[in-house]
Amino acid sequence: MGNKAWSIVFGVVMLACFVGFAISPFVGWWRPEGRSTHSDDVDFLFDVILYITAFFFVLTEAILVAFMWKYAGTGDMKHPVSEKAEFPGMMKPLANLLHDQHRVELAWTFIPAVILLYIAFAQVETWANIKYASRNQVEDLSKNPYAAATGKALHHQIAVSARQFEWRMRYPSSARLKKWLAEPGESKSDHRSFGKVPQADDVLVVNELHVWQGYPVNVHLSTRDVIHSFNLPNFRVKQDALPGKLIPLWFTPKGSKDKSHNCVWDQTKNRYVDGINPDTGKHDPAFIYDIPCAELCGWGHYRMIGRVFVHKDQAQFQDWLAKAESYHRQRTGDR
Amino acid sequence: MDSHASPSATHAHAHPELSFIRKYIFSEDHKIIGIQFLFTSIIFLGLGGILALLVRIQLAWPHAEIPIISGYFADNGGRIPESFYNMLFTMHASVMIFFVIIPFLTGAFGNFTIPLMIGAPDMAFPKLNMMSYWVLWPAFVLISFSFFVDGGAASSGWTAYPTLASLGMPAGQGFHSPAAPGSGHGQILWLLALLCVGVGSMMGSVNYITTIINMRAPGMTLYRMPMTIWAMFITAILQAFALPVLTVALFFQVLDKTLGTTFFLPDMVTIGNYGVDAGGGQPLLWQHLFWFYSHPAVYIMILPAMGMVSDIIATFSRRPLFGYRAMIYSIAGIAGLGFIVWGHHMFQSGMDPRLGTGFMIATIMIALPSAVKVFNWLGTIFRGNLQFTTPMLFALGFVSLFIIGGLSGIFMAATPVDIYIHDTYFIVAHIHYVLFASSLFGIFAGIYYWFPKMFGRMMNDNVGKVHFFLTFIFGNCTFFPMHMVGVMGLRRRIPDITAGALETNTLGLNEFMSVSALILGTVQFIFLANFFYSLFFGPRATRNPWNSNTLEWMTGDPVPGHGNFDQVPNVFHGPYVYGEMGEKDSCPQTEKGDGVLPLSSH
Repeated sequence: MGNKAWSIVFGVVMLACFVGFAISPFVGWWRPEGRSTHSDDVDFLFDVILYITAFFFVLTEAILVAFMWKYAGTGDMKHPVSEKAEFPGMMKPLANLLHDQHRVELAWTFIPAVILLYIAFAQVETWANIKYASRNQVEDLSKNPYAAATGKALHHQIAVSARQFEWRMRYPSSARLKKWLAEPGESKSDHRSFGKVPQADDVLVVNELHVWQGYPVNVHLSTRDVIHSFNLPNFRVKQDALPGKLIPLWFTPKGSKDKSHNCVWDQTKNRYVDGINPDTGKHDPAFIYDIPCAELCGWGHYRMIGRVFVHKDQAQFQDWLAKAESYHRQRTGDR
Repeated sequence: MDSHASPSATHAHAHPELSFIRKYIFSEDHKIIGIQFLFTSIIFLGLGGILALLVRIQLAWPHAEIPIISGYFADNGGRIPESFYNMLFTMHASVMIFFVIIPFLTGAFGNFTIPLMIGAPDMAFPKLNMMSYWVLWPAFVLISFSFFVDGGAASSGWTAYPTLASLGMPAGQGFHSPAAPGSGHGQILWLLALLCVGVGSMMGSVNYITTIINMRAPGMTLYRMPMTIWAMFITAILQAFALPVLTVALFFQVLDKTLGTTFFLPDMVTIGNYGVDAGGGQPLLWQHLFWFYSHPAVYIMILPAMGMVSDIIATFSRRPLFGYRAMIYSIAGIAGLGFIVWGHHMFQSGMDPRLGTGFMIATIMIALPSAVKVFNWLGTIFRGNLQFTTPMLFALGFVSLFIIGGLSGIFMAATPVDIYIHDTYFIVAHIHYVLFASSLFGIFAGIYYWFPKMFGRMMNDNVGKVHFFLTFIFGNCTFFPMHMVGVMGLRRRIPDITAGALETNTLGLNEFMSVSALILGTVQFIFLANFFYSLFFGPRATRNPWNSNTLEWMTGDPVPGHGNFDQVPNVFHGPYVYGEMGEKDSCPQTEKGDGVLPLSSH
């Protein structure tokens, strides 16, 4: 193979990598559409990093390939380099600027440093808003940027207990939920104790996370055996469940303008079914919201998958809750 | 022993009477020890590769019979059970990290290059050096044996997170695990094997640090050391400070599993109907201790390769290494920052998210010294006279692919973005671009480069180029699409990608990656054939086949005996005097250079 051919090999492979990533969003090799109020911010930050890294990828690989082409040697190890080796034509104006090695090194340290600091500090607010308890456990949800738009006063409370290999969800009873919604001020302490203190009339459901769109959710996450990871890829939520700890997390399914609801009552099956496109009313895989466990938890890890049911409004959620409650009571007896 | 009559007789040529066993097996010669590391690493590279291919086959064809070994799984329809798959990827990672990459880089190349490149007759502590290799043998035995114990080898990931890994039966009920089959006997053997590896690495680092500080030839100032040695030096320091923490953590987990302690076990853990009554520990403690070692370990697995690649690029560009001191400071910067970024593995772990912010900023700043190194390599080939030998191609391949691995790291360092890509194949893509495409390319470059000095024969350059060409193509085909399937939401560590709604869509790309991986694995036989053929039948190498400047090429014989140098070399300048001296293309460190040395020679 000729000496210059190697630069072509490198160039073609790197170009293929670049093209592969560039076409990904258009051929379906991309993230699912975000369904939570914070998902746009996460995706935006992903894209910012993608564009910056893509620029530096192209820049450095192009320089590497160009130098490999331009300075390919003859294969004779003793061939002396001409002292007059020129800059490549395009870069000639840079020659004067670059003659001082020190200045060059300062430039390529300082400029990336500024860009990296920008990337780092651009993340801080979004991360804090999604994960910090201080931004989410607030009395007044209007202070929370991802819940403020909903105009709601309280979080929807769900306790999730993980185990090999399923998610067990605990919901407040219909009566308790109605009280919370009717008198948000007076029920604050009861509301707050929900995650820590299970009650006899709680409704227990396996592997189904029911929420309604546009209403902020607070999940209290625990596990009774090994580490699991509560992972809602469609909602850009991920949080490990740690043995011995109760970990809160928050998200808000997108509201009515940006539909995220995906379930309807199916008379023939006698249950709510998910994966329904709200615009067409038909089954659509893009509206299946899995809860796949993301942390290796044993042999059944891969199939530890729950589902998120986003109801179209509070009334539909309460209808589901009442049905689930009555089913639960039939099996466990009245309390 | 009694042959060492006087101290002076121990030097240089005093060993002609050594038996075969003392000379080639229980050798104290750093070169032989390095070659021993090299051979065992190659064997384990084969094992790790086979495990990887089984993983890839399962990922692409999740419902098909596994080829060759399907007979073992007749009661499962010839398909591998889920727990067996968990064992495959756990042992693939463990073998590749602890028995391939680290022994290759610090064991094989650290041992072989350090005394030769600083002009020393041997390591400071030759016996300790011998022991650092032989203490690995219990590890080899334990890790190989663990495949055949009840429940199979370790299967809770190479990270061995409690409580999955650490749960044990109550005292007197044996060493099975209630959490997972491979987390019983196999996990205990895994922990013990890693303890042995750690002790061996620790002995190595003590030796490297002492040797580099105390045994440099006259004139070999710190700032005249080749970049390989700087990288080995800083790596050894990293290892010396990080390893004790891993050792403690491994020991804690052994105690948790065997004696019923609860370092990592909180209250109220139950598995199925089986309750564990003890408690009071913290599963997160393991993650902190483990990553306090294992993040620096990531740099242990790349810095020596960076050093070697720097030397190889300078040699074959016939140019001085651009920004020699900046390169040193970058390595030191990566190593220093490497100690305060371990938490970036734990952003979603339940660690206080406010800590995540600090870890994120430190982590993103690590990209800076990495970027400086890339720019310096580009500056080195600028206006060079590039000789595309096989080692040079692998070194340039390293640069090209390290750019991808380095840039993809920024995504997962960014905490909000990490929420989405954490534990997906995006992470797998990143680690393979850093460890396969970078570290292993550096290792291949090093093998092709120092083979003449190790064995006195040349490897076939044309066959080497074919090896590089196919590895470069199919390596990218195997690992680049992992970025996409990660973005699509494919989780790591799952045997059946058709279980989840998002993951099913990745089947096509997974088949492509697996076919590429099978070809990639096959291509490595070209390397093996070249290596072993050249070992016996390659053309004889001259003393300095690459016209390099560094001291290892200045020995009297092509393959120096124990003691390395006929007389103690004198060093007059730095290692990178290439292409700046008019008619003369290079000037070895042992030559004065006619008093007209250019500025860069310091």
